Amino acid sequence: MKAVLISDLHLEENRPDITQAFEKFCEHHLEGITHFFILGDLFEVWIGDDYETDFIKHIKNVLKKISAQIDECYFQHGNRDFLMGKQFAQETGFQLLDDQYTFSLNGQNYLLMHGDSLCTLDTEYMQARMLLRSEGFKENVLGRSIEDRLLLAQQLRNTSKDANSDKSMEIMDVTPEEVVKLMEATKTDIFIHGHTHRPQVHTLHLSHNANAKRFVMSDWEKDVQYVTLNNKGTELLTFSKP
Amino acid sequence: MKVTLDTNHGTITLLLDSEKAPKTVENFKTYVENGHYDGTIFHRVIDGFMIQGGGFTPDMKQKGTLAPIENEADNGLKNTLGSIAMARTNDPHSATAQFFINVADNGFLNHTSPSPQGWGYAVFGEVIDGMDVVNSIKSVSTGNNGVHQDVPKESVVINKASII
Repeated sequence: MKAVLISDLHLEENRPDITQAFEKFCEHHLEGITHFFILGDLFEVWIGDDYETDFIKHIKNVLKKISAQIDECYFQHGNRDFLMGKQFAQETGFQLLDDQYTFSLNGQNYLLMHGDSLCTLDTEYMQARMLLRSEGFKENVLGRSIEDRLLLAQQLRNTSKDANSDKSMEIMDVTPEEVVKLMEATKTDIFIHGHTHRPQVHTLHLSHNANAKRFVMSDWEKDVQYVTLNNKGTELLTFSKP
Repeated sequence: MKVTLDTNHGTITLLLDSEKAPKTVENFKTYVENGHYDGTIFHRVIDGFMIQGGGFTPDMKQKGTLAPIENEADNGLKNTLGSIAMARTNDPHSATAQFFINVADNGFLNHTSPSPQGWGYAVFGEVIDGMDVVNSIKSVSTGNNGVHQDVPKESVVINKASII
């Protein structure tokens, strides 16, 4: 297995620089790999697979090209694009993973997540998340007109921006105790996630592994920190502009 | 103004655009004249993207620089194959001595707006001779060196930079 993992691109039409950086990254960093993972928030907003613009079409084509070259391509939902569904997966040749995905390689158990569900100190967000991610809400939203959905997405973004401006950095990070609990419950050794935009490699002392690791990937606003995973190990690497 | 970079892969000749990028060219000229680039390396080489140099010695020590300059990326020059531009940190106006030569069309490095995300990278000239040398450099084998990635395994050295 030779994998590359990225997250939090927040692609949107009015940020062509990020789209181009993503294409450049894919041209040079995916050669020879067998698995490609996008761990959430590929898009800044996603209002349903039935909504398509030239921009979305372009991204789908980019992803299609990738999946034609790489055996296994996966994505996970982020808090921005949790409405991505089967149609999108089919159109791009990517497979949708569960929010909490585990696998083993060379005796190490891996856990992949977007990460937002571990920000448990942010009770306001956790409550909103419970509603937003419920099947009932999804169905309700996807049943509305495109115009309604675009408006709703805009409102949600504004509410989130207002709410987050008051929150401490600690609240908006994943809760360390929750990470420990989850990694011990799933008996995992290496946890890779995004969401917080705080790239770093953390070492954890867990009951089953005193040298467990948590890899946090960055967003694509500045230098990009992504993960490579192969038989030699797991690394957090940087893709930066000159 | 023309500048040659005499490297251990051959000579690259650059034509600098002092009309469209006056401050950047003046800055580059100062570093050429004070000998800053002599003995520095291309320390970051990514085929299909760019080759970056002018800041490190072969033992990967960063050389001291003059004050950072204003970013002239809004001058209309584009990051196309064979163009030379200033490297910088995430701050748009932080370029000092390091530069890069685009070895592909890198549209995402162009100026789009006067914002931290949109400033882009200031192009100030182009390679007019020695693209074969650039191509030879972009193809060298690279690896990690400390915190640095994409570092040529065998140093690509600028022996001497001269104004001609």
